[in-house]
Amino acid sequence: MENAGYLFAAFTIIWAVVFGYVLLLLNRQRRQQQEINSLKEASKEKQAEQ
Amino acid sequence: MQERHTFRIGLLGLSFVLMVAALYLVFIYVPPEKEMGIVQRIFYFHVPLAWVAFLAFFIVFLGSVLYLWKRESKWDVLANSSAEVGIVFTTLFLITGSIWAKPIWGVWWSWDSRLTAALILWLIYIAYIIVRSFATEESRGARFAAVVGIVGFIDVPITALAITLWRTQHPGPTIFQGSLSPPMMLTLLVCLVAFTILYCLLLIQRVSMKNDEIEISRLKELGS
Amino acid sequence: MRFWRKVIAITWKDTLSEMRTREIIFSVLVFTLLVIVIFNFAFVASQETMVLVAPGILWVTFAFAGVLSLNRSFILEKEEGCLEGLMVSPISREVIYVGKMLGSLLFLLIIEAIALPIFAFLFNLAVLSLQLVVITVLTTVGFVAIGTLFSALAVNTKAREMVLPILFLPIIAPIIICAVKASGLALSGEPWSGLSPWLQIIGAFDAIFLVVSFLIFTFVIEE
Repeated sequence: MENAGYLFAAFTIIWAVVFGYVLLLLNRQRRQQQEINSLKEASKEKQAEQ
Repeated sequence: MQERHTFRIGLLGLSFVLMVAALYLVFIYVPPEKEMGIVQRIFYFHVPLAWVAFLAFFIVFLGSVLYLWKRESKWDVLANSSAEVGIVFTTLFLITGSIWAKPIWGVWWSWDSRLTAALILWLIYIAYIIVRSFATEESRGARFAAVVGIVGFIDVPITALAITLWRTQHPGPTIFQGSLSPPMMLTLLVCLVAFTILYCLLLIQRVSMKNDEIEISRLKELGS
Repeated sequence: MRFWRKVIAITWKDTLSEMRTREIIFSVLVFTLLVIVIFNFAFVASQETMVLVAPGILWVTFAFAGVLSLNRSFILEKEEGCLEGLMVSPISREVIYVGKMLGSLLFLLIIEAIALPIFAFLFNLAVLSLQLVVITVLTTVGFVAIGTLFSALAVNTKAREMVLPILFLPIIAPIIICAVKASGLALSGEPWSGLSPWLQIIGAFDAIFLVVSFLIFTFVIEE
């Protein structure tokens, strides 16, 4: 079982990077959705005023 | 909206199942390789990463050509997203290649033809992103990036050819040589499909996010 | 025929302005010599080692000189407002590409023609062989084919001089590899047959990227 440490390291890095990237994307998307919703609210209010 | 969401969940499920299958094949099913021992199993993820990196770059090329031809923003969004996902996969390919090289050859980096070509590919991807951000306006950035995407993609096979020819003159540590037995072939193929599905998933996600970004700036402009 | 006449007009304009100021040729030439000298200090080595590293030094130097020269050529256009002038005039974008490319080719070849004998002198190597000349010309054509496209692009970005090397150097990696290898073989007296696979790759690169750049150039300099 020599070099098992390297094998473990390689796979861990793959998962860490992919996982991290997906998390990053999901977070960013959540913020984007919030922003879109707040912008839509703001424009609705504006239309209601006019 | 709903169908898109269900489609994505479906794709995620498929990706998960394939990944689990891949893990099983890589760690339990396939017999260990004679010369390199257990570390060789990195190969089953390392090679699909390279394949996906190249696929991603091909999509960048297609998106770039279509963008310059049709001038529709959706093609630029596709190219840009594919480049980003491609960089992630190329980085992983380089890192796993390095980790594989260390125990086998005792060096963190060998100018192996595949690793070297991947390094150049990585640099071209980076140039693609940089050119976009250094442009004075968005539309220019998209155009310039498209040019880089096209030139870069055409360049990569030539580079691979030159490097391979160079390597046959200067043989040294190489990542992999030899043929594959059927179980190894199956494992490799399953991993290949698993990573391709993952790429599609990430691409779709990134594209929809880019579209959201465009939507946000459009809404901001309307509001102000 | 009219195409070539317009091309020559642009090349002639560049050459004329260069002949008056000699800005590009002198500065890049001095730079080239300095780089060769600095490299010599980097490799404090015997004559045998020098023979091994000489092709590499030569081509790294020429690659950097190429970047400088290509940068200057378009930045001058931009500063003087010539680029807008060219685009307003009734010539096709392709004419501009070929004209600028031939101009850069001329300048680089002149610089290399002067640098090579000096290189031979400093490194005690026979660099004046026909083989080396052919290698140099072929590779320089590759440089300007892709370099003209990219420097026109770079000049329109925020970071100008920095962008060109980032784009240019990775793309020309294959012909650098081939040029270095072929130069090494040429210096050790290899016959043409040994050089031919490398020359073929450089030739293919040149042909492909002359065509691709020609077709894409218009997208780079439109407004």
